[in-house]
Amino acid sequence: MIDAPARFASIADFEGFARSLRSQDRTGTRSVRLCMGTGCQAKGAARLYELFEEAIESASGRGRAGNIEVKPTGCHGLCQRSPIVVVEPAGIFYQQVEEPDVAEIFRETVLGGRAVPRLLYQDPESGRKLEAAEEIPFYKVQQRIVLSQNGRIDPTKITDYIAAGGYSALVKALTSMTPEEVIAEVEVAGLRGRGGGGFPTARKWRSCRSAAGGPKYVIGNGDEGDPGAYMDRSLMEGNPHSVIEGMLIGAYAIGSEKGYIYVRNEYPLAVKYLRTAISQAQEIGLLGENILGTSFSFDIQINRGGGAFVCGESTALMASLEGRPGEPRAKYVHTVESGLWGKPTNLNNVETWANIPHIINRGGKWFAGIGTEKSKGTKVFSLVGKIANSGLVEVPMGITLRRIIYEIGGGIRDGKKFKAVQTGGPSGGCIPAEHLDARVDYEELTNLGSMMGSGGLIVMDEDTCMVNIARYFTDFLLNESCGKCTPCREGLAQMRHILQGITKGDGQAGDVEKLQALAEILSGTALCALGATAANPVLSTIRYFRDEYDAHILDRRCPAKECRGLFIYQIDAEACKGCGICLKNCPVDAITGERKAPHVIDEQKCTRCGTCWEKCPFTAVLKV
Amino acid sequence: MNQDSSLIEQIVERYDRDVGMLIPMMQDLQAECGYLPTDSLRALAKRLNVPLMRLYAVATFYASFRLAPKGAHEVSLCMGTVCYLKGSAGISQAICKEFKVAPSGTTADRLFTFTAVNCVGACALAPVMVVDGKYYDGVTSESALEILQGLGPAEQAAQADAKEAAE
Amino acid sequence: MPTVTIDGHSVEVERGATVLDAARYAGIWIPTLCYHPALSSEASCRLCMVELDRGDWRQLVTACNYPVRHDVIVYVMSERAQQARRGVMELLLARSPDSQELKELAERMGVKGTLWPKVTESQRNCILCGLCVRVCEQIIGKSAIGFAGRGADRTVAAPFRQPSEDCIGCGACAAVCPVGTIEVRVHKDECEVEISPFKSRVKLLVCKQCGAPILSTQVCEQALRNVGWATCLPMQACSQGNVGMGRKSAHATFWPELRKRLRLCPKCRRLQTAGRVASP
Repeated sequence: MIDAPARFASIADFEGFARSLRSQDRTGTRSVRLCMGTGCQAKGAARLYELFEEAIESASGRGRAGNIEVKPTGCHGLCQRSPIVVVEPAGIFYQQVEEPDVAEIFRETVLGGRAVPRLLYQDPESGRKLEAAEEIPFYKVQQRIVLSQNGRIDPTKITDYIAAGGYSALVKALTSMTPEEVIAEVEVAGLRGRGGGGFPTARKWRSCRSAAGGPKYVIGNGDEGDPGAYMDRSLMEGNPHSVIEGMLIGAYAIGSEKGYIYVRNEYPLAVKYLRTAISQAQEIGLLGENILGTSFSFDIQINRGGGAFVCGESTALMASLEGRPGEPRAKYVHTVESGLWGKPTNLNNVETWANIPHIINRGGKWFAGIGTEKSKGTKVFSLVGKIANSGLVEVPMGITLRRIIYEIGGGIRDGKKFKAVQTGGPSGGCIPAEHLDARVDYEELTNLGSMMGSGGLIVMDEDTCMVNIARYFTDFLLNESCGKCTPCREGLAQMRHILQGITKGDGQAGDVEKLQALAEILSGTALCALGATAANPVLSTIRYFRDEYDAHILDRRCPAKECRGLFIYQIDAEACKGCGICLKNCPVDAITGERKAPHVIDEQKCTRCGTCWEKCPFTAVLKV
Repeated sequence: MNQDSSLIEQIVERYDRDVGMLIPMMQDLQAECGYLPTDSLRALAKRLNVPLMRLYAVATFYASFRLAPKGAHEVSLCMGTVCYLKGSAGISQAICKEFKVAPSGTTADRLFTFTAVNCVGACALAPVMVVDGKYYDGVTSESALEILQGLGPAEQAAQADAKEAAE
Repeated sequence: MPTVTIDGHSVEVERGATVLDAARYAGIWIPTLCYHPALSSEASCRLCMVELDRGDWRQLVTACNYPVRHDVIVYVMSERAQQARRGVMELLLARSPDSQELKELAERMGVKGTLWPKVTESQRNCILCGLCVRVCEQIIGKSAIGFAGRGADRTVAAPFRQPSEDCIGCGACAAVCPVGTIEVRVHKDECEVEISPFKSRVKLLVCKQCGAPILSTQVCEQALRNVGWATCLPMQACSQGNVGMGRKSAHATFWPELRKRLRLCPKCRRLQTAGRVASP
């Protein structure tokens, strides 16, 4: 391992150091890459790390270790199969590794160079055991640019990032590009904001660069508030330096000396790794005064959010950075002119920032070659919900939803039927099966009544009630509304009131029209984008699942059998073994029947609590 | 009281007395005290020369701030979309009923503070419950209650763990 | 100077003026609730929505804070603008159905009532316009009250929902409140003024002559500080003439006289003056 010098005084010094790192002879090095993302840690990855360390230690005691390292990395993506362990040089991919497996992996694979078949991923179609990650369908269809180093490098070591080519884009920008040329390159790339709005990044940068006054600020938005989304968390945890390098390049282009990264409070690990990364970059002179001996100075500060979804909105985030409640303000004067402390401020999502080094290194043309006409590059999604392979995926823009869900995600879990995929977070919409061949790009998703958002893809199956999911999102948005403007605060409360009524069986004819009227008020008059789009979940479910609303309201029936009281429980006489468990557990004695004979539920007495359904060991209790 | 004022002083100095860093200061204060004691907020407002109201507004706006002492353990149940789809609402109800605790409330015996949080970003593990920084995946009403019933009384070790996890 | 064309009427305004400024200048009424010319515009009530012509499309904007930077065309009475304002008003009526002031404004806007039920709690019809919060912060400089909580639970409150120590009992919040939520209550027995519903109480200055309450002691103190009282005490400082009050001679007699007269209620002060005029 090469130790970095105290502080690089010149670009040449840094390049020499980077060269020596990159040309290091790694033949004979065996490495165990262990995912230490939040998901894998929850499944005991930290203990696995200790066990591998112990194994190396005892092996070296017996003189057998040679060059073996165990490397904690960020998220590998296939969180469904966590914890994940990859053994190099062969790149053998192990999944769902448990503590007792460590000894075997170490003996067989690390020392012996052989795979342990029972820990490999088994292709569900062919039944074949696959050794390398690249062979697994989940990874095969993906195109990883932003996530290319996620799961490969140790996020707590700046040398790992530099060895993998890190900070070379910064050097390129500082040595051979003017700020205008940097912006022009990003413009050629056609990069658009990854946080939701999809605003052209270069245009934003240029406006901020040409805005009067200073100092100018740049902000990395890592306040990933969408429930069911964790792209930004995995990026900040897995490759924090890529965000920092992107911000450095942006700051150089815009003419800023001060940056902030605003991270969600619920992401302690991301905060920790970013802090480490920033102090390492400061130590070797990649952040701070006169970076690499040039006249360019820039530093970054981390702020933790306080737990407010609305702070994902740029003006609310800036209010929060100023130490005030995160309330948005009108954007009639743009933040690039008057943002943080009334100064020109350029805010981008952390994923947007992480794209920048790749664009500078490989050129805007290369980037623009990926994706569709108006949506370039790749997008990271967290593919979650009722899907076989939950995880973090990066795909080229323009890929169809079907390919993401069926090829990468492996289809719906437990053989259920697909119903909808929710994109764009709480302000997005639910897209039904008939639009599965829609291409993932900004315009197409908007046309479908949803949006790109920050990248959550939540898959729902036939058991999900779309009215209830609309109620869930409305509830969420009302709880997270800042309460400043009338339409969002009062309008969402009215919407929730109506939706609660419908899901409880008190729906009235005309409720859907009332919801639509409220949606119109919200989209036209709310103060910020969150309020203006808050009705999307309701509107999109009305658009595609109107029959479910009607079933609730007119027939007092929940087709997905989720809304309590809008379906009944019956016992399947053929499946019932007459064991008596349901009878014993029924709190209102609504079930009768002789032992070993089919039982019957008295519909009049039944309160639809569902206890029998939960308790029946033979799944003989049915929702009808 | 003296100790308290030196703590405020330390926190304020940590951020160069920058009023813009009010939220990080309050986060540090909460990390130290477990909640935001009224007197400490008064002292902080005075030290920074900002109206007390501003601190109160911030403390009541952001979900992560607490104005009352927390329990010995911190329990967060994820209410993100995926956890919700997989039944976290029912788990929340079960916990509230069993321990007679309100969401964002603390049990009468101060055993734990229960928070239903928006999304912990571990959707592949849904439903997720986090107890003192430890993640439990795929919880059900039964397993959640079991975990919580197994919680010991306020022990220093547990508190130290929680603090570490918070940092 | 840019021209603003509102429903066909054109007016010229200073660059940076708002659409509402222009409308008022042109004598065109746009309903407002959270706007006050002395305070910053937050555009939180959303009642002043108008339509802005963007060439190939029209955008709803709030008149009270939309800055005029170049010539613009605005529609106040277009169907969409009216509908937007009515929609907002109906939501406010649902929140505060008992407010007489709100009902009157609604009527003027042509809103007969609301089809929405009351689903949010409001403290004494409070519509959360925030004028009280802003006047206390921006004009009085106290921030004795502010917004607490968020979303549907948002309220105007004093810190910890306790009587505020920063409140000087000036009543400015009550004066700007458009729906009468805030009241100034005088407790004669205790010689105190209370700002309700915040329960903040301040001692009252009472007339030396007749015992009638005059004003809050703290308002009096702040007013005196504002005119240089604090730097003028004690009297020696005054004789050095370091306060911008004019000639020394006038100075020496001014403060004791003012102090004396401040202890009288307006009625007794008039009587005293009248007496002096009658028998010099």
